[in-house]
Amino acid sequence: MIGVEESRTLLSLLAAEQRPLEEIVTDFNTKFPRSRLFNVCCSLAILLEDKKMFKSTQRLVAFTILHQTYSSQQPSANPFISLLVDAVCDDEAEKYERAFILQLLSHAGSGNNKEILKQSAADFIKGFDPSSHVFPPHEQLQQQFCDKSRPQSYSCLFRDASVKNVVPDPDVPNGCDPNSPEFDLQPGAKPKIGSGDRDETINGILQNLSLEGLGPRWIRPLPPRLPVLDGELVWLNPDNNHELLWDYGMCADTSRGAAVRDLIAKALKGPLAPLQQEQVLVELENDSKLVYHCGLTPRKLPELVENNPLIAVEVLIKLMNSSEIAEYFTVLVSMNMSLHSMEVVNRLTTAVELPTEFIHMYITNCISSCENTKDKYMQNRLVRLVCVFLQSLIRNKIINGEYFQLELFCYLEVIRCNYFIVAHPGMATFICIYFCVC
Amino acid sequence: MDSQDLSPSSSSTPSGDASSMDEDDVSSTAGIAKEAACLFNSQRYAECIDVLNKLLQKKPNNPKVLHNLAVAKYFLNGCSDPRALLEVLKKFKTRSRELACASEEKAEIVSNPGNSVISGSKGSSITRHQCAAANSASVSYVGEFDTSIAMFNTAVILFHIYEYVNARLVLEPLYQNISPIDETTALHIRLLLLDVSLFSHDASRAADVILYLANAFGVSCLTSPADNGGVTSQHQSLNLVKKAFLSTNNSTSLEASNSDPTASLNASENPLSRTQSDDAAKYETLLSTLNIDVHNLEKAADPPSLNDFSRSLFYHPASAGDLKLKLHLYIVQFLLLTRNLKAVKREVKELMNIVRGDSCVALLLKSQFEYTRGNYHKAIKILMASNSRMESGIENIFNNNLGCIYHCLGKHHTSLVFFSKALRISSSLRSEKPLKLLNFSQDKSLLIVYNCGLQYLACGRPTVAARCFQKASLILHSRPLLWLRMAECCLLALEKGHLRSSGLPANEEVRVHVVGKGKWRQLVLEDGDLRSKHLDPVEHDGRVLGSDSQLYLSIPFARQCLYNAFHLLYAVESKFSKSTLPPSSVSEEDKLGHSTSLKGLNHKNLPGGDSKPSNETVVSAQAIANGDAKELKGGTGLIVILQNSISSYEDLLRRENRMIKQAVLANLAYVELNLENPLKALLAARYLLRLPECSQIYIFLGHVYVAEALCHLNRPKEAAEHLSVYVSDGNKIELPYSEEDTEKWRVEKGTDSEELNSDLVTVQNPSLEEHQAIVFIKPDEACGALYVNLAIVSVMQQHLEQAYQYAIKALSIIPRSLQAILTAVYVELLLGKTREALARLKQCRHVIFLPSNAKLNSSW
Repeated sequence: MIGVEESRTLLSLLAAEQRPLEEIVTDFNTKFPRSRLFNVCCSLAILLEDKKMFKSTQRLVAFTILHQTYSSQQPSANPFISLLVDAVCDDEAEKYERAFILQLLSHAGSGNNKEILKQSAADFIKGFDPSSHVFPPHEQLQQQFCDKSRPQSYSCLFRDASVKNVVPDPDVPNGCDPNSPEFDLQPGAKPKIGSGDRDETINGILQNLSLEGLGPRWIRPLPPRLPVLDGELVWLNPDNNHELLWDYGMCADTSRGAAVRDLIAKALKGPLAPLQQEQVLVELENDSKLVYHCGLTPRKLPELVENNPLIAVEVLIKLMNSSEIAEYFTVLVSMNMSLHSMEVVNRLTTAVELPTEFIHMYITNCISSCENTKDKYMQNRLVRLVCVFLQSLIRNKIINGEYFQLELFCYLEVIRCNYFIVAHPGMATFICIYFCVC
Repeated sequence: MDSQDLSPSSSSTPSGDASSMDEDDVSSTAGIAKEAACLFNSQRYAECIDVLNKLLQKKPNNPKVLHNLAVAKYFLNGCSDPRALLEVLKKFKTRSRELACASEEKAEIVSNPGNSVISGSKGSSITRHQCAAANSASVSYVGEFDTSIAMFNTAVILFHIYEYVNARLVLEPLYQNISPIDETTALHIRLLLLDVSLFSHDASRAADVILYLANAFGVSCLTSPADNGGVTSQHQSLNLVKKAFLSTNNSTSLEASNSDPTASLNASENPLSRTQSDDAAKYETLLSTLNIDVHNLEKAADPPSLNDFSRSLFYHPASAGDLKLKLHLYIVQFLLLTRNLKAVKREVKELMNIVRGDSCVALLLKSQFEYTRGNYHKAIKILMASNSRMESGIENIFNNNLGCIYHCLGKHHTSLVFFSKALRISSSLRSEKPLKLLNFSQDKSLLIVYNCGLQYLACGRPTVAARCFQKASLILHSRPLLWLRMAECCLLALEKGHLRSSGLPANEEVRVHVVGKGKWRQLVLEDGDLRSKHLDPVEHDGRVLGSDSQLYLSIPFARQCLYNAFHLLYAVESKFSKSTLPPSSVSEEDKLGHSTSLKGLNHKNLPGGDSKPSNETVVSAQAIANGDAKELKGGTGLIVILQNSISSYEDLLRRENRMIKQAVLANLAYVELNLENPLKALLAARYLLRLPECSQIYIFLGHVYVAEALCHLNRPKEAAEHLSVYVSDGNKIELPYSEEDTEKWRVEKGTDSEELNSDLVTVQNPSLEEHQAIVFIKPDEACGALYVNLAIVSVMQQHLEQAYQYAIKALSIIPRSLQAILTAVYVELLLGKTREALARLKQCRHVIFLPSNAKLNSSW
């Protein structure tokens, strides 16, 4: 945490037991740049934990540094304040040490404080009177110096769980007490087995300390690599070549299609002559794609149906595969009911298979048209038409099985409930159909 | 389509912008256009370009002329820059649209008065349909505004430069409204779509097109009004046409349909296929149909477009045999994609009969089949045989495939050699002149490089591997697996200690500084954690690419990759959830589709263009699955096979996705822990634990990660709960997973072992399989890890004695684990058992004691 040079400086400061503390502090502040202060103080704090490590005077100097480095701020802003408070209340500690720290704390800023600092550490211990000191309880000190209102920053238990990573491992002969002073290095004497130099140790620790200590070693297994999946490796096969295409539609002669388009346009406005009709049908037959280009759109279908139902049927049959056929059906279902539209639907049913939903909807539409017609005569006619249409449907669909019959039956049920039959003279035919179905 | 709503006078002119042109000009331009087309067909491109330029003078800015000019120039000079060509086509499309819109507006004015009655009386629903209809028609304007060829050409280019997704986007609207497009172009579109679907692993769309082709070829010649044969392409009309077929059944005979090309719509149906549908279950007969239809094709040269058709269908001498072979190859490819090995076996056999063992492509497919079913040595043999027939230009394919096989044999270095060779050959292809589009697609390097990456990853070289994957991402970026592999590269780099991290590599040494002498001797334990923190390697502050666009592996990059993978997986999943309706509801759904389409809510008009393609495929898959489809003639057996393949393939994909998802989430939790984001790690790990059918290994990982994250969040109690899942009575821990879990993990091969055994080919070699098993710590080690972590959790709950018990137990299981030893030391230090802790440290092999005297002496 701190370098070789720094640890040497620090040690020399700690060792100066005869110098006034004030001087040491000033020295400390000039020798260490501000950015290093915290690290150095941390090291001191860790070393103070082991009571044997520092000599008593060194401890006092260390505590002084911890306090004075941050004395310009509120006591509660001192990061080591709780350590200092704890040290005052530590019953196992030497009394002079506790009293010293208490004085440091309680006279912060006052002139009395200066008094203490004018002494050297050795002088303080020498002049200490153990009888005259009473130590306030921990809570009181804490209240006095540690500001509780300060928000506690989030601390992770996990990270705070580390233990000090400096472990004493005395190397003394078996059976000897490592604490006995006999193993202390005597100046001038030949070092004997088991003896060691305290300062050397302090120096070594200072250089090798780390802030965090020894943390818990959670085992976080590395997730396994996903095995190569079966189709994951790319197996290659030669490509099919796809080349660019020439557009034959460039400046193409469109006259033949144009003729049909003209005829279809005419067919929307009125019935075509038989010859014209023939021409349209033949052209449509010759070119299967022409139907898509003949100018018909779903919304124009009703006009075509009304004017030229036969062409409409052919066109619709040809459009069966088109994606738009659904649109055409929708239009067909919802257009005004007429003889021609019925004819178209009837022919379609015999030529292609229509979706049952479509037939459903168409029949429903027919019936509601009958009901909504105000003109009695027209209504009668319509009802008869619908009857014929239904008969035809049944006749042609009867081979298709009971499925359709059942549906029609349901329709007739609905019709009957609506008094449709009773209200109209075409009732007889309906009853006919009804029995035919049953 | 609306462009045709022009009044009679204007529609008689050949082009929308030429209404002022007189009759002479019209016929002369048509003549020149014809001449250009002839020159193009006879491959005299230079002359063709001259003629086109002449035409351009007469009709300046005519989009179609410009388009054909670009095409002819391409054929003359090749194509060094496909993007530029794409740009030309794009311009053409916008110009055509503009022209079409201009004429459409005119048409609106003309046609509106006539329609006002209808739209007035029928209310809003009708007008909505009309809009929808106009929309769908907008894809294909006729005549001068028809952009379908240009769109196809765009798709072709996209296909060759591997942009399958975009190619799909272009093709799909064409395919959805394919009926107005002339049959030649339509077939090209279908074939291209088939290739694109196969490459982008879209089995259901591929099946759709295959079925169409099988039916179309199986019914009649392709140019007569036989679109009816191809009903499968338009699934919504499946039911509608049934009746037409039924009515034709009785009236026509084989002779009639063959000899009379101008026969009515119904007569053109080939009754042979009728009899076939009766005999539905036998797929083999499809082939005989094909045989006959081949004759049909040859004979029925009557319609003028057929020559044209067969000429353009195959660029080499066109024969109907090619067509048949092509379909066969497609089917085999499809079955291989869906790993329907049983069917592939039969098909490959059939295929080899057709080509009489003399086709390189067929041999490659056969080799792929053997490779897919794990019969590697035979695969090599066949591959070698194919090599003798190898045309130039596909040597890279040969080498790549050999590499695949050697990978499966566990020989990663050999495999790497082959892949590298394939890459070298590929890069030489690009230097060929003139550069054709084909050269781009023949250069498979971006795919091969993915294989390379996998090998490097297997060989433990994360940086090179990541670079490979980075290259492959140009075309494979939509595959979640690619991103997972990238992340794995980062984790591998982390494991190898190349990366800075907060986590600990598993087996590291601990350094202990011996400080002082004698009585004052102290030991300072150095935390490896801290060392790696203070190591401070080159920091890239989240940048993934350096100035030299080199990929830097880092943990934040791994996280980014994993999130990519996760999102892609989610997208895939949502697609599955749509298609995974139970069978009964499938038909319901289909019915629903019919009724809604009647109401104009055809799925085509659904909002959300993004979801459209997947939506389509789902529906079409249902159409295939629908029992009604079975009544189609021709490929009934084929339908069943395709349908089975698709459903089993989707199962397979689901299974694979589940595996990928587990891996992604576990990696994500790990990475987040590493980045000290316990909350995110917690989320990922909890998600992992909630996955259905999660592997025991990943459940274990999930619990450990959750517990660690909770510890970091100061919730040791919950953490303890997660770890105690494995603690039974008396503080004993059960094995969190078994040895089999590491093996079971593999996706089972799609074959039944019985069949394989009968072939006596695959005596499963255990050593062969080993490399596919998951490589993870042994179950008892996992047990030990759990004890260690339990010890730590107990410490955090202040249960020091229990922590000690756990630590000792951990040591009894994994005595050599440094982590376990350090945990024991840690707990003992906490308990003040300094002496025991020191004794333990001194016995540990991983501890290095460093004297610090030297340093002192020099400084003192």
